[in-house]
Amino acid sequence: MPNPRPAKPVGEPTGSEHQKKDLNQVNEKLRELIASLKSARERHEGTVAGQLPGDPANASDPRDTEPGPGAAAEDARRALTAAVAERDELRSRVVALDTEHRRVSEDYVALQERITEFAQLYVSLERLHGGLTREETLQALQEIVINVVGSEELAVFERVGDRLTLIRHFGVDPVPLREVKVGDGVIGRTAQRGKLYVAGRDGPVEASDADVSASIPLLVGDRVWGVLTVFRLLGHKPGLGEADQVVFELIRSHAGLALSLRPSDA
Amino acid sequence: MDRKKILLVDDSSTVLLMEKMILSKSEYDVVTARDGLEGVDKARSERPDLILMDVVMPRMDGFEAVRKLREDDSTRSIPVIMVTTRGELQSVETGYASGCSDYVTKPINGLELLTKVRSCLGQ
Repeated sequence: MPNPRPAKPVGEPTGSEHQKKDLNQVNEKLRELIASLKSARERHEGTVAGQLPGDPANASDPRDTEPGPGAAAEDARRALTAAVAERDELRSRVVALDTEHRRVSEDYVALQERITEFAQLYVSLERLHGGLTREETLQALQEIVINVVGSEELAVFERVGDRLTLIRHFGVDPVPLREVKVGDGVIGRTAQRGKLYVAGRDGPVEASDADVSASIPLLVGDRVWGVLTVFRLLGHKPGLGEADQVVFELIRSHAGLALSLRPSDA
Repeated sequence: MDRKKILLVDDSSTVLLMEKMILSKSEYDVVTARDGLEGVDKARSERPDLILMDVVMPRMDGFEAVRKLREDDSTRSIPVIMVTTRGELQSVETGYASGCSDYVTKPINGLELLTKVRSCLGQ
């Protein structure tokens, strides 16, 4: 800021006059400064207004209507954010659909297993009661063991007093099985107790019975009419499942009755 | 969609009944034969889209029946699935050598059977 009071020459106007003149000069300079600031501000505001997009008043050049670099970047950021959100939404839907697909597939598999189980039970029942003679019923029992349970080794016994007499066999040596005493080994105990035996489920057995997979009492009411014994399973069958045990329960309840009601020859 | 026709060849009533229950519930028409010889005759007269063939049967076994089918122009292209209790490699190889398309093992699993049937039928 310039010094408003220069040194006083000899013979010049008095102090008060000088002070008045200096003050006027200062006031004049202040007015010029304010005017120039005002002008600069107006110019600045005009420039900013000219950069606003879509303002026809400032559209002297077509390029003036295009957004500036800052606005374009902002638009791009908004579009990117929207795209990322859409991608995340789509990913969530794919995951949800995948989960649903897996659930439906599992339900389908479970349903097919149930259908197979019902088919097995229906077929077993139909075959057990469809025979007209004891031979046909024994044949049906054998086919059920081979084709429904999955074993090509079986023996069927009829109880006579305290003995079990072999009346049907397939895939096993009949000699040691021709007659079994009730109470002896797994087969004899099945007749004695009238309870289903399933290997692995019902505890260990004697070494001589190691090949027995299941032993099923054939009931007529509460009486044990005979026993069906299933030995080794087919090589590709890993073991007896719940569905097999349901079939055994059906045989336990129906096969004895079916056999006892059929004549022994045609 | 046309209903596909499947010929079941097996000497066991139990197996035929099981197969019929599983397949007829899945919108297939089913015809049956009780041995290989009858199976070949039914294949010629019924022109099925697929045959399920047992292996061990009286009069003509499954392998021989498949060979007969492959020699006949009218049945040559019908796919055959062997149904066997013997899952051993030798039995399977014999089946493929005689011209079968696939095999399933007994006891029949409904899901496995349907999957292979649909695959052979291009469904």
